[in-house]
Amino acid sequence: MNKVLLAILFFGALVAIYIVLFLLNKKTPLPEGCENLKADCEACHDIHCINNPGHGRHPES
Amino acid sequence: MAEFAGLFVTSVLINNVVLNQFLGMCPFMGVSRKRSSALGMGIAVMFVIVVAALVTYGLYYWVLVPLQLEYMDLITFILVIASLVQLTEMFIKKTSPALYKSLGVYLPLITTNCVVLNVCLVNITSAYSFTQMLAYSIGTPLGFALVLYIFSAIRERLEISSVPKPFAGNPIAMIVAAIMAMAFSAFAGLV
Repeated sequence: MNKVLLAILFFGALVAIYIVLFLLNKKTPLPEGCENLKADCEACHDIHCINNPGHGRHPES
Repeated sequence: MAEFAGLFVTSVLINNVVLNQFLGMCPFMGVSRKRSSALGMGIAVMFVIVVAALVTYGLYYWVLVPLQLEYMDLITFILVIASLVQLTEMFIKKTSPALYKSLGVYLPLITTNCVVLNVCLVNITSAYSFTQMLAYSIGTPLGFALVLYIFSAIRERLEISSVPKPFAGNPIAMIVAAIMAMAFSAFAGLV
């Protein structure tokens, strides 16, 4: 089989596996008491990072 | 056995991934304010690295090499690590709510932790045997967790001590990290 095609198929399969697992993980309900868990990472001030305590806040507020 | 022990001790203490190779600095600085957080992060990293190393090692030698797709190792490993983190998170959510409570928040952070990718790549580029791979893949996250825990304990004490204002916060933490790196370099005579 053409090696380039094989590489594309392999890459596609890996991406598909990731997407399926991501969606399944999103669908899995959180255990009781874990709804508002937040990491207390304070290494930088990038509020766009989901691990920053200020994530979701407007930069100017 | 001696080879296993040598590589294990080297990866934990001498060639420490944080203090010697300066990888994983983001969680090292970010999740080291409390000992409980550091311990949770350390355990989560350890779990993900061991599983990711086993999967990527098998995938490289049983899939990529026979198909002559070795050049795709980097992209493959990145996707495998990201998928594994999702799978691990889902598995822990379903089976152990208590474990999820302590590790759950750190799992997405591990996807971007360069230590995981480094271990997977070094296992391949150094052409480690299966035993060597195991020693390196267990020793490296153990060294990471050890350093993270010690650093968090020091930072907890720094919080209650009087640090000069210009050094308060991250500057004194960086100085502590530098002193720790110098202290760990003394282990070089062990092996």
